[in-house]
Parts: sequence; structure tokens; C-alpha cells
Amino acid sequence: MSGITQDVLMAYLDGQLDAEARAEVDARLVADPDLAQDLAQLQRQSDAIRTLYGPVASEPVPARLSPHRIALEQSRRQWRGVARAAMIVALLGIGMAAGWLVRPASEAPALYNRLIADAVSAHTVYVSENRHAVEVPGAEAEHLSTWLSNRLATDLAMPDLAGSGLAFLGGRLLPAPAVPGGRAAQLMYEDSTGERVTLYITPSSGIDGPTLETLRLGDDNVLYWANDFVTCTIVGPQDPQRLQALADSVFAQLTPSAPAVEYREL
Amino acid sequence: MVDFLDELEACIPALRRYARALTRDADHADDLVQDCLERAIARRGLFRPRGPLRPWLFTILTNLHRNARRTARRRGDAVNIDIIPEIGTPASQPGHLALVELDRAIGTLPLDQKEALLLVTIEGLAYAEAAAILGIPTGTLMSRLGRARASLRSLTGASHEPHLRTVK
Repeated sequence: MSGITQDVLMAYLDGQLDAEARAEVDARLVADPDLAQDLAQLQRQSDAIRTLYGPVASEPVPARLSPHRIALEQSRRQWRGVARAAMIVALLGIGMAAGWLVRPASEAPALYNRLIADAVSAHTVYVSENRHAVEVPGAEAEHLSTWLSNRLATDLAMPDLAGSGLAFLGGRLLPAPAVPGGRAAQLMYEDSTGERVTLYITPSSGIDGPTLETLRLGDDNVLYWANDFVTCTIVGPQDPQRLQALADSVFAQLTPSAPAVEYREL
Repeated sequence: MVDFLDELEACIPALRRYARALTRDADHADDLVQDCLERAIARRGLFRPRGPLRPWLFTILTNLHRNARRTARRRGDAVNIDIIPEIGTPASQPGHLALVELDRAIGTLPLDQKEALLLVTIEGLAYAEAAAILGIPTGTLMSRLGRARASLRSLTGASHEPHLRTVK
């Protein structure tokens, strides 16, 4: 196969040569039986490969390979994707709106509940003290009122519960751990048997909760109350009815600047 | 858009033929063609080159097949070369046994040689076109083609050639 490389022979076989090159190979093939033999063998091989796989092209095409169908499915998927995205946005919006709407209910209870817990802790700690139960004695009610009003930045009066059989022992300033930087006033009262009642008072700004709640914690009953100015948690061993009666008296006196409760005629 | 889909449809028989020869498995081949069409339809406008669709589709299919093989190798799938795929030729036809042997021999070729061989012999593509599809120089294509043909010749042996002659 002088002058004709395997590559040229292959290119001849595959129809890659121009007319001039083809003519040259044609001439060689006539002169060289070995070269012709080589070519024949390559030709048979190629024919066999085409025989092997060629018929696939005339098989019926499965429906799943239809480009029109694939394009349709893709555009449907695309719209499903858009629809899903829209739904997610809508759900997110609903969720955020719902979160906003239930916000007081989900956040504030924790805060006012912590206030109640703080009130009960302070009550438990200080009612058992004899000499140091209060920081400022009840005899200085006027001074206490001014001092605590300043510290809590709200107008506080020291309720007189003598009518309910309770003597005013005095009060102290406390941190209100439930509120960052918060302060609380604790006022303590004592009845003739030595039972003590405390009022735990904080400013009510930022504390959303029920205006009235009673609960029992350990040996003590608790009554939580809030108006526009203060929250007041009354803690004592009295039964709930008596605590409620006390509370009515306290609330009438505690915040003199609060508008008087208006009673509607039935 | 409709023109594009029709043009795509016209390429399907050739794509199936090439895929079947590459995989020697009818289902796998049609999966490849489907993937190829889906990709082409999803990316028309983005990547579609100017000019005829056919080379672009063959490039996509070739790459998909390479990726699938890589994945299969990672998974450790065994390739059983004794599984004889449907070859589209009646069993009674003379030369059938030789064709089965040839089919197996093609299955053992290195992938790069097989791609070159199939694009040129089955699809009848010009060397330059096949080389462009495979992303290689024409010289490389020719050397792969030459090696593939030499391997097949030694794998199938000369004894079956008289049978092959009859299938022309």
C-alpha cells in the first residue's frame, strides 16, 4: 500500500476525500490487491455496524420522546413552579399576618407571668423578715410615695387598707427582672394575726396582659391587675374572695391620676 | 418555537440510533434521548447555537451519556457484556452470530473510540463535524477511529467475515 496511509484509506472509505484524492486512491486500488483487500475489510466492518444499529432509526418513536409533549410538560411544570412559589409567598404572608395578630397573646403572657413570679419571689423573701421587712417604714408614707413615684416614673399613692384590717408596714424599691432595666415597688401590709400581704407594683408600659388574673402559687394566693399606668400583683395567704375585696380597695387608691372607673347603669 | 420542536423531532431517529449503539440497551438509550430533548427544549434560546440543531443535540447526548457512565461507575454497577440487546435484525438472517459478536466487541471499545466510530460510521458525519461534536481536533478523531477499527478487526477475527459479507 505504497503512498496510501491507513488514514487516507479510512478517509476514502468514509467519503471524506475530495475528487482528486479519491481518483488517486482509486488508481492505487486497481494496482494493489492488498490495499483493495484492506479496504474491503473496512467496508464490511462499517456495513456490519450500520446493519447492527441502523434499523433503530426506523423503529416507531415512543410517545415520551415527542418534543411537543416534552415542551408542554415543561411549561406546565414551569407554571406549577410559579404557582407553588406564589402559594409559598401567600402562606408566608398569612403566617406573618397571623403572627402579628396573635403577637400580644404569644409574647405578653410570658412577661406578665414573669412579673407575677417575681412578685411571689419578693413576697416570700421579705415577709419572713422581721426587722428588715421593709426599707422605708409605713410611718413615712408620704416620703415613700414620692420616692417610689419618682423611681417608677408614675404617680403612686400608698393605699390605706386599715379598713380591711391591714396595717401599712412600709415599702422598698426592687429590680423587676422580667423587664429589662425594670424597677418595682413592694408595699407590705400586716393584719392582726401577723399575716402579711405585699403589693408588687411596676409601670405598665410595654406589658400587655389581662387586666385581672388570680391564681394560687404554693401557700399564697395571687391577684394580678393592670391599668394604663401600673401593674400590681397582690400576694398573700388570704382566700381569693378576701384578696379580691382587698384589691378593690387598693385599686381605688393606688393611682390617683388614673381616671375614675366609670360604672354603667344597668 | 413550533419550528424548533419540529426540527427537534426530525433528529430523534438519528439520536435514538446513536444512543442505542452507545449504550446497547434500548431503555437506557431512550432515557438518554429523552434527557437530551428535555435539556435542548429547556435551554433553547440560552445555548442553542446558530445553524443546524443536529450537532448540538449529538453533543448534548454524548455528554449526558458520559455523565451517566461516570455516575454508574461511582455506583459500581456491573456491566454484563453477555446481555445481548435487541439488534433489530431477525435472528434467522445469515450473519446474525457475527453481528452479535460485533455488537459485543463494540461494547468493549473505550468510550472515546466508540463515540468517534459511531458518529462516523452510523451517522455518516464528516470528520470535522464529528470532531466538533466531541470537542477534539480532527487528527485526534481520526486516530481514535483508526484504533477502534483495528480493535474491532482483531476482536471479531477473520473467520466471521464471510457471514458479514452476506448482510450488505
